[in-house]
Amino acid sequence: MQLRILKYLLIFKCIISVLIGDINVYTHRHYDADKKLFKKFTKRTGIKVNVIKGSADQLIQRLQSEGENSPADVLLTVDAGRLVRAKNLGLLQPISSKKLLQNIPEKMRDSENHWFGLTVRARVIIYAKDRVNENELSTYEDLAEPKWNGRIVIRSSNNIYNQSLMASLIEANGTKNALDWAKSVRSNMARKPRGNDRDQARAVASGVADLAVVNTYYIGLLANSSDKADREVAEKLNVYFPNQNGRGTHINVSGGGVTSGSKNKLEAIRFLEFLTESENQKIFSESNFEYPLDYKNASAEIFSKWGSFKADEMNLSILGLRNADAVKMFDLAGWE
Amino acid sequence: MNSWNFISIVTSLLIFLPILLILTNFNIQSENWLHIKEHLLYRYVSSTLYLVIGVGIISTIIGVGCAWFATCYDFRGRKYIEWILILPMTIPTYIAAYSYYDVLEILNPFFNWSRKNIGVKETMMIENILIYIIVIVLFSFVLYPYIYLSVRASLLIQGSRLIEAAKMLGISTDKIFRKVILPIIKPAIIAGTSLVIMETLNDYAAVEYFGISTLTIGVFRSWFGMHDIASALKLSTYLIAFVFLILLIEKSYRKKEKYYNIRGSRNSLTRIRLGKKKTIKVLIFCTTPFLFGFLIPVGRLFTWLIHSNFHLMDVNLLTITLNTIVISLISCSVIVFLAYFINFSKNYFNNDALKKIGQLAILGYSMPGAIIAIGVLKLNSSLNGIVPLMIIGSILGLIFAYAVRFLAVAWQPIESSMEKQCASINQASRTLKINAMTSLFHINLPMLKKPLLLTCLIVFIDIAKELPLTLILRPFNFDTLATLTYDLINQAQFFQSSLPSLLIIFISVPAILIINGQLNSET
Repeated sequence: MQLRILKYLLIFKCIISVLIGDINVYTHRHYDADKKLFKKFTKRTGIKVNVIKGSADQLIQRLQSEGENSPADVLLTVDAGRLVRAKNLGLLQPISSKKLLQNIPEKMRDSENHWFGLTVRARVIIYAKDRVNENELSTYEDLAEPKWNGRIVIRSSNNIYNQSLMASLIEANGTKNALDWAKSVRSNMARKPRGNDRDQARAVASGVADLAVVNTYYIGLLANSSDKADREVAEKLNVYFPNQNGRGTHINVSGGGVTSGSKNKLEAIRFLEFLTESENQKIFSESNFEYPLDYKNASAEIFSKWGSFKADEMNLSILGLRNADAVKMFDLAGWE
Repeated sequence: MNSWNFISIVTSLLIFLPILLILTNFNIQSENWLHIKEHLLYRYVSSTLYLVIGVGIISTIIGVGCAWFATCYDFRGRKYIEWILILPMTIPTYIAAYSYYDVLEILNPFFNWSRKNIGVKETMMIENILIYIIVIVLFSFVLYPYIYLSVRASLLIQGSRLIEAAKMLGISTDKIFRKVILPIIKPAIIAGTSLVIMETLNDYAAVEYFGISTLTIGVFRSWFGMHDIASALKLSTYLIAFVFLILLIEKSYRKKEKYYNIRGSRNSLTRIRLGKKKTIKVLIFCTTPFLFGFLIPVGRLFTWLIHSNFHLMDVNLLTITLNTIVISLISCSVIVFLAYFINFSKNYFNNDALKKIGQLAILGYSMPGAIIAIGVLKLNSSLNGIVPLMIIGSILGLIFAYAVRFLAVAWQPIESSMEKQCASINQASRTLKINAMTSLFHINLPMLKKPLLLTCLIVFIDIAKELPLTLILRPFNFDTLATLTYDLINQAQFFQSSLPSLLIIFISVPAILIINGQLNSET
């Protein structure tokens, strides 16, 4: 009985959604900022945003098996690599939108317009103010030097942010050098990788190590946390942008694309455009501390504290192409 | 073949299909697979073994010890001990892990000292061993109730007469336990321990957080990192091999069990009275798992709840709680009915084909939920071409996926109690030409009411905790308490995540109370 009611409810829901032109979003992004933005979008356009949150790889798998019948209109991920993969699997369609081309710098979107970056993340070095002098720091490559022996913490290589960083190192320095780098960094670690970026920050603050490699917004979240202990952690740390005299700091984008089977293409494009508008970009950076697409002119207070930086100009599609190699290099280096 | 067997076989095969689609990857020889085999397989298998052996031993000691004390002894507070010992079961391993996430940080001053004075490498080794110990103990403390429940049920049904007989012969309590009790509860221990091991194999979030590279981690690393689903699925066949082994052991012990099985009405148990000193010892033994497996995690969640100022964005918590309860209730009824129906057909008609095929349908429990999800997704895409039917993204699809994963939980207790209590009656009914339907509902059902209810509740708790399948197969805008918790933890909103976590625990507590009441009531 209950089952039948549920079934009818579902069918009813589907019919309604076709009539009003809702959009259905598969997203890997788990942030409150998104919730705010989706609401704002509905308020402005009357288009309801239905959401399934999950990990991007699983969502891509789901898209693939749903094929033509997939209800999804938009796929959002937290890195460019998976967008590249979704494109290569034929799950995204090219779209033409002047607004998107205008709002998104060229290297942060697909050259064939299958996917578009929405926010920017920089993977930086954070260090304990009282134990490290900024002059000692220079590049990612420098972390392999013996002077950092027993002074580094960094999370597991299961994580996509580390995989992307490694992909960028392979691209910049070649496979062999990247492998040597990973081996040396692994032996410089103060402890076996565990926990997330936030835990690495905590470890540096409590003296386990002197520096860590993390994404900037984690520091933003700690500094603005409702928990006093978190704010104290942030206070003990400084952010350093590596490779400023060379290719620039490694960045990645969180972004999205319109699915091949989308039945609400126009609404989906409108949705992506909406997310790139400058006032909405502000919401991303103010509540989640991610850099806006125009990261050079980011206005939130915390960004000015960290200072401006030069980003690696590498085409982000490469991160996707090199991802599997990156994982294998980590395996060979014994970096768990 | 009659329609009963036909329906049962088709249902079993349908449930086995997603698993089959995973197993077909066993022969793949990709470049990635060679890399995994050469550099990683040993590490994955060995750390999985450490974990499984550690958790297996410690949870068995806790589970059996607690069941023995709480069932066969009488001491002050026993009535409470009896049911609070089941409570840790309501806590998902990932929530337990997060509630202890900073336990190692307490030792930071020691590690800092040791890094300077003993050496970085040595400290890393000590830390590594400690991590294993912590994870093993943590898993044991939340998973032992599976053993506690099955052993206790077995002691209540079979123990009393034997203990009395032994006591009359003047055998000491120690000896009674070792020589009389242990042999008869062995099958129950194996059954419970195999559930614990399967839950251990299944975990992803907790081992990921503590940095232990188990086979399950390997599965995800090949899938997410190398984008090589074939290798990921091949690795998961190793997990299935583990479980197959466990199931075989369990089976062989259950065969022996018939030998010890004692029929007849159950006497009310005369419990051994304990003196003051011994009472204290027993109380410490029995409250420790409750303390670490329930009180501390729940206590921490409560303090986080206070820190969060009960602020939970604009999430509609009531709807989400109802979602969780309704989907868990429907699914556990469906799953238990399926297990009951298939086992009845098997038992009543004594069909050999069904006996074998049924075994296949319960393999799903061994696999990480996310892998089952791939199986279901693959099934969906192979059906997609034939019929425009969407399994995924519907409530029906979700229930099907739960059945693939949790049929085993319902299967084993139902199978064994049916063999024990109904086998000969069913044989007689068949000779007397009693209609199978009558037999199913009017003869077997009343006899098996209790085990059916118990398994139903255990499956309910399992589904209320379930995360990976729900996460990936759910319909739009459909959240359960587990997915909400995951979502908040992912944003590192530990404080906010405490409320849905606590709700998962609290909706399971009534189930625990009913389980305990049922165990104690006379059959």
